[in-house]
Amino acid sequence: MFTTDLLRQLDKIAGQYEQKQAALLPVLHAIQEKEGLISPESEQDVSRYLGIPVVHVHEAVSFYHLFHQTKKGKCHFSVCQTTSCALLGGEDIIEHLKTRLGIKSGETTPDGKFSLSVVECLGACELAPMMQYNKEYRGFLNKKKIDELIDKNK
Amino acid sequence: MPNLTIDGQKIEVPAGTTIIQAAEKLGIEIPRYCYHPALPVAGNCRICMVEVEKQPKLQIACYTPVAAGMVVKTTSPKVLEARKNVLEFLLVNHPLDCPVCDQAGECKLQDYYMEHGQYDSRLASVKVKKEKKAFSIGPTVMLDQERCILCTRCVRFTDTITKTSEFGVFDRGDHSQLDVYPGKELDNKYSGNVVDICPVGALTDKDFRFKCRVWYLDHTKSVCPGCSMGCNIDIDWDKSRPHTEKKERVMRLKPRHNPDVNNYWICDSGRYNYHFIDENRILSPQYLDKIVEWGEAMERVAETIQSTKAERIGVLASAQLTNEDLFVIRKLFKDTLKAHVDFRVPEKPGDSDDFLIKADKNPNTAGAASILGAQADAQTIVQKAKQGELDLLYVFGHDLVKLFGKETVAQIAKKTKLFVFQGSNINDTCGYAHLNLPSSVYAEKDGTFTNCQQRVQRIRPAFFPLGESKGDWEIVSFVAGQLGAPLSYKGPQDVFDDIVKTVAGFAGMSYEKIGDQGMILKK
Ligand code: SF4
Ligand code: SF4
Ligand code: FES
Ligand code: FES
Repeated sequence: MFTTDLLRQLDKIAGQYEQKQAALLPVLHAIQEKEGLISPESEQDVSRYLGIPVVHVHEAVSFYHLFHQTKKGKCHFSVCQTTSCALLGGEDIIEHLKTRLGIKSGETTPDGKFSLSVVECLGACELAPMMQYNKEYRGFLNKKKIDELIDKNK
Repeated sequence: MPNLTIDGQKIEVPAGTTIIQAAEKLGIEIPRYCYHPALPVAGNCRICMVEVEKQPKLQIACYTPVAAGMVVKTTSPKVLEARKNVLEFLLVNHPLDCPVCDQAGECKLQDYYMEHGQYDSRLASVKVKKEKKAFSIGPTVMLDQERCILCTRCVRFTDTITKTSEFGVFDRGDHSQLDVYPGKELDNKYSGNVVDICPVGALTDKDFRFKCRVWYLDHTKSVCPGCSMGCNIDIDWDKSRPHTEKKERVMRLKPRHNPDVNNYWICDSGRYNYHFIDENRILSPQYLDKIVEWGEAMERVAETIQSTKAERIGVLASAQLTNEDLFVIRKLFKDTLKAHVDFRVPEKPGDSDDFLIKADKNPNTAGAASILGAQADAQTIVQKAKQGELDLLYVFGHDLVKLFGKETVAQIAKKTKLFVFQGSNINDTCGYAHLNLPSSVYAEKDGTFTNCQQRVQRIRPAFFPLGESKGDWEIVSFVAGQLGAPLSYKGPQDVFDDIVKTVAGFAGMSYEKIGDQGMILKK
């Protein structure tokens, strides 16, 4: 069940669309913002709220990497592995993160502090090699910049 | 109405017709996976691409509406190349093990690849393996994700036909996989249909998978006897497999397209209701505890009839019988002997919905009503028999024990001179009847049923009656012969022609005219 607060926020979002169903993505974003993930319970709630069969809510959640079905760490590295970034050392960055954090792509450290995702082009090739760090873009990466981020948040 | 040309042939079709539909009218079958005439168009598989003159790119035939003067080519080199490429793409992650796939022989991937295949693989990379191999997704269906080509027919079926929305496509790109919602099952009254519409071996039927290779099957057009809807079906039976105690002749039932009745669908209870055809059958006439010849059995019935009066004969006909069976019953028992005849026993209504499933579980209630009419009443006939007011009670198929209770049936056996049960399968009533007569099941019969829309529809015999069983019309004619009042019908068609002459609603009908779509009874 949505809290009254969240519900008020969702009503506002859904009100902007001619058809309620069209609000699926912004509604999911709002929920993830509050709860850090989209749980099966939330999928059911959204299904009832927007009148979309739950299986199709799950389709959207599983399609977009932006939606998390498990809780992510406080620091979430989404590192680009596509051409421009790869050519400029993206792969080394990914390897370095894997070794430092001891996790693979899609995983979270046991202390819940760090998560790693390997993603496709984020449309910021001019910053290559780059990543999305929580909600910000960080470019021209090197191992030192990564180490600083990790150490600061340990 | 736009005029267009497809592969050099001219055709005029109503505006809004798609190229794939127009081609079909000319007898040109454009390959398709995601397109299904009874589902919304998805346009995702791209196998149906055709060349349209003056258009730079190939168009998908399932989605592109025709336009005046359009010139379409369905087999140009460009089109064939495109099909080849689509197939190559579909097979990137599909296993190449048709010999161990249950769908082989009726798989569209296999069929189209035979026609348009690439043959020499250009793939060096390893296939992306889906998470789960063949696994159960509900009481009736198995899913093999690697074989799925993501056409979404099944998704659209559960969204738009059953409105139960069990299926979805999860994840993305070549990790996309079809599944039911986590923790849920495909469990609705029409679930088996997804197996029929899946163009490949991804969805298979638990009841059928690996039971028989499809090329051993013969198909007989028939009508489901499961309720008064009378859905059109094909009986798929194994030509090479004679009936033995363990082996069934019928392998599966499939819906047969009839836009006026069931469209492409049947319900699960109709689909899986065929085991009775080969199991638990009455195989020979039996008097008390002794197997007897047909001649002797018929003699006993005739004797009893001859030694009694019309008001001491009761007949419980059945709406499970064909119009032809019922007409012969009427001829002998009602018209000639003037006995008490009814078919309406007090059955509890079964489940129903607003789609196909009807509460009346008899396939021919409308036919029985039009042929026998209502005059006597089954309840009264049973009461009479119980109180010793009948010498002969002749029951067609009904399980009186279930309907009226053991006590009543035991009384009937005691109070009547002859208690006849004529039916295809053994039930509790057989133990009380003095004489048991084996009749054939619908799959062994030629004839017609009239459904709840008053539509008269043909059933056809798939194979010979089991054991010594005979058609109900034939047995009753046999009795008539013994009585010296022969009904000299040559077969069900002959009986039907007499129905047409005698029963007003059937006027103008014939087996030819009924054809595969049926004909509505006149008021
Ligand atoms: S399971 Fe069959 S019907 Fe469903 S999407 Fe896959 S191929 Fe299509
Ligand atoms: S709806 Fe009735 S006639 Fe149709 S398949 Fe089911 S039981 Fe048979
Ligand atoms: S390739 Fe990395 S942002 Fe475009
Ligand atoms: S049949 Fe036309 S795109 Fe699939």
